[in-house]
Amino acid sequence: MAGLRQVWTLIAHQLHRRVRSIGIWGVALGGLGALYVALYPSMSSLLEQYMEQAPDLMQQYMGEIQGSITIEQWLGMELVNGIIPIALPFMVMVIGSRAIAGNEERKTLDLLLSNPLPRQNVVAGSVGTMALSLAGVLAITWILTYIAVPAAGVELSAGRLAAGLAALWSMCLFFGALALLASALVRRAFLAIVIPGVVLVAMYVIDGLAQASKTIEPLRVLSLFYHLGRPLEGDFPWTAVLVTLVGVCILAGAAIAAFARRDIYT
Amino acid sequence: MAPAVQTEGLTKRYGLRVGIENLDLEVLQGEIFGFIGPNGAGKTTTIRLLLDLLHPTSGRATVLGLDAHRNSVAVRRATGYLPGEFGLDVHMTGRQFLKYCGRLRYLDDLGAASQVADRLDLDLDVPMGRLSRGNRQKLGLVQALFHHPQLLILDEPTTGLDPLVQDTFLQMMREARSEGRTVFLSSHILSEVERVCDRVAIVRGGRLAALETTESLLERRRKRVTLVFNEPVDATPFARLPGVSDVRVDGNTISLRLHDGIDAVVKVAAQHTLLDLNVEHPTLDEVFLGYYDERQPWPA
Repeated sequence: MAGLRQVWTLIAHQLHRRVRSIGIWGVALGGLGALYVALYPSMSSLLEQYMEQAPDLMQQYMGEIQGSITIEQWLGMELVNGIIPIALPFMVMVIGSRAIAGNEERKTLDLLLSNPLPRQNVVAGSVGTMALSLAGVLAITWILTYIAVPAAGVELSAGRLAAGLAALWSMCLFFGALALLASALVRRAFLAIVIPGVVLVAMYVIDGLAQASKTIEPLRVLSLFYHLGRPLEGDFPWTAVLVTLVGVCILAGAAIAAFARRDIYT
Repeated sequence: MAPAVQTEGLTKRYGLRVGIENLDLEVLQGEIFGFIGPNGAGKTTTIRLLLDLLHPTSGRATVLGLDAHRNSVAVRRATGYLPGEFGLDVHMTGRQFLKYCGRLRYLDDLGAASQVADRLDLDLDVPMGRLSRGNRQKLGLVQALFHHPQLLILDEPTTGLDPLVQDTFLQMMREARSEGRTVFLSSHILSEVERVCDRVAIVRGGRLAALETTESLLERRRKRVTLVFNEPVDATPFARLPGVSDVRVDGNTISLRLHDGIDAVVKVAAQHTLLDLNVEHPTLDEVFLGYYDERQPWPA
């Protein structure tokens, strides 16, 4: 219990420091969501015409959209399978990179560890901070996006939107945990962002290209974007979420092991 | 009673470079222990090994009877540590920072923080980003002291402090000693070590060069003895005495450097008419420089 209290102290401290950042991310992504909802009525017919005239490869890239595009498909394409999973992981990657390497670079890790704080609690506190920060941003995004639904006169279930955004939580957390592991290994906060960043972009590109190229298609299973599926369309990726959470635990465990073995320099 | 700090063959290498080599050290409880040496001698490496921030290449260290690595959390619970260099969260005030540290130590209040801050003339309600170098150092000291630790490990504690605050700090160290607490003080400001430390270890090139009481260290190192006679005197008998070196003759005056006791010198001098006798004890700075002078042999 004492350890949990300490971890909560770390989380509360980090969240307090990041409350503004969480708000900015939430408002930015929520505002974007609201904008897409507001644009849907005028964009749906235009997009339908575009899809009819688009080349086959483009149609494959855009997914199995046939006939008129629904609000779920539209938000999925632009937001849930588009901007959020490529942008939001960077917020938690920053948190993960700063937890060890960043604090070491800024020389704040010495004072932190001068307290009776087991190193694993630092890692646990960081994972907790990332998890709650993501939940906060996604909650704000959900609220702001859903506020625009009645104003735009479209039909979108609050539960469906919540499920779509919730599916992103574990995926974003995975990249944060990867940054945390890199932070425990490489001693440079910048590299601890670059490494998971490259993995993220590679997964995004592989998933996109695999939809249009048979050669790359076998690699698609390596991409979390593929396993994310289309959660806004009622297909919540339970297996992918659970497997990703197991991956988060493995990465966090590896970060604990790496941090325990490493020296801390000034 | 277990020593406050004990190291046995403690070694830390950074690749081919030696941080410290085979360090055997024992710091007694209730003493102020000075740990001196120039930059890169291994002082900070030793301290970081004691606090488990670094892992030893070989050897072991115990702090208050606890293994510094296996029981590092318990060690840090009983220890107040001031790093030589540290960063602060610029958006927090000192009070917020200390409350945060207090919560991590399961403390419900700030303990002696306000009292220590008042003595050091530090305002705890100023954002840490606005603190001067000296005030940041003061905050580091408050952070190390506020929870009343059994052992204080302080790395260059007076850096950036003005002389008045340095005096206050040294007085606080004496008070800690009188309460039975232990202070491990790493410094290259020898005058402060000389003023408060009971024992001193000198490190050179990652190795222990000397470990003695401050008094005996000063006593044992080369004193400059000046003898003034009523007439010129043959200096040869003085030069033949054990522990005597650097004998100089200037008219009626003979001066010499003396490693050991003065008794033999006085007995030889007493064979003549001695007008004046002056013994200059070296400052710790001179002792220190003696240990670091590459021409000097390694001390036994």
